[in-house]
Amino acid sequence: MKAVKAIFLKELMVEFRNKQMINSYLILSLMILASFRFAFSFIDFSISQLASPILWISFFFAGMFSLSPTYKREIEQGTREALLFAPISVSTIYFGKFLANLLVILCLELFIMLLFFVFFPLNIPDFLALLTVVAIGTIGIAALGNIISAISSNLAQSEVMLPVLLIPVLLFTIIISSISATSELFAGGNLLDVMQEVRFILAFDVVFIAVGYLLIDYILED
Amino acid sequence: MMLKNNLKFVILGFAVILTLISIYLALIYTPSHETMGDVQRIFYFHVASAWVSYLAFGVTFFAGLLYLKSKDFKWDTIAFSSVEIGIIFCTLGIITGSLWAKPVWGVFWRWEDFKLFITLVLWFIFIAYLALRANAKSRTSKANLSAVFGIIGFVCIPFSFGANRIWQQYHPTILASSEGSLQASMAFALVFAVFAFTILYIYLLLAKVDIEKMKEIIDKIKQQVGG
Repeated sequence: MKAVKAIFLKELMVEFRNKQMINSYLILSLMILASFRFAFSFIDFSISQLASPILWISFFFAGMFSLSPTYKREIEQGTREALLFAPISVSTIYFGKFLANLLVILCLELFIMLLFFVFFPLNIPDFLALLTVVAIGTIGIAALGNIISAISSNLAQSEVMLPVLLIPVLLFTIIISSISATSELFAGGNLLDVMQEVRFILAFDVVFIAVGYLLIDYILED
Repeated sequence: MMLKNNLKFVILGFAVILTLISIYLALIYTPSHETMGDVQRIFYFHVASAWVSYLAFGVTFFAGLLYLKSKDFKWDTIAFSSVEIGIIFCTLGIITGSLWAKPVWGVFWRWEDFKLFITLVLWFIFIAYLALRANAKSRTSKANLSAVFGIIGFVCIPFSFGANRIWQQYHPTILASSEGSLQASMAFALVFAVFAFTILYIYLLLAKVDIEKMKEIIDKIKQQVGG
């Protein structure tokens, strides 16, 4: 537990010490939302119907870019060996990095939501429910994204390979369920109306964390 | 080696004969469907291709698990060969399905249908798997990473299935399915086609594994020669 905390704090320190990185994530989020807003400005559309796919696709892309350096920078800076030599289990590294990713992506998502409601003004009857869905969806994104980031860091062209590997496994599981739940909330539902999706996303979270815990050894060992 | 080659020829002959019989069954033996007509005959090959692709991806999953357990490259070769065959049959399944859907449903593709959706997701996942292997840096990392990704991809499938069921509730199917019940002869032709394609898959897998082994031998020889 102490080791997880140490890795977690180390990741956050690296992440926030480099202010350019955080800034570029924030600017990227702004750009994604702006491009959606302008792309849809030519057509007559109902905000409440399009809002939830736009929100989650923005989350997905912004989150993906923040996931990509997690394991790659260890290799680039030569700290990977030191990390693996440390007298801690590999799954500890996974959990530490997962929690740090989770926090960074959640901050990013709060920022995106702030901008989102500026670009796409909407009434949300149950804001707390929206936050709940976003939070549990993000757990899944961070858990699976972390494993895929570890895989892609060992590949040539890792920047391209991360989205290539992440989209087919993430988009059709967590993102689709979250979009479905969020649409319901935007249409005026409350948390009880989306219980089915919430349970489903929670099941994803558990499975993805378990998969990461079991398989991370094989990814990092070689 | 000799015996193994003989066995492979037997399987090949078996696969060819069974496939020919299954073509006969599908095109001539079975009556045409009462509502869909002759178009429905593509269904035998469509179901068989889809079945083989699911089987192939399932084999990849188990071979991946066995590889991670034993670290024997044999399993990795099987997993990879199975994916390649699976992709081919998955593509065939999607194409034949679309050809069938156009006259029956009036559209090539229905985004709401969960079977179509799952097949497409599988196709995406295993295309990504091939991209992963193409970009791996060493033999060990190729085997390790692709085994892990194959397992993750396969684990996701039942979940995308469930997610799609939930998602569907908000997008009710507009087009009513017009599948009638199967007659006995049709069911027989279907089972036969599935069986024939399974034997064909086994042969293709054996052949592909052999090709991969030869490739590895050639690579080794090249290294010894100093290439």
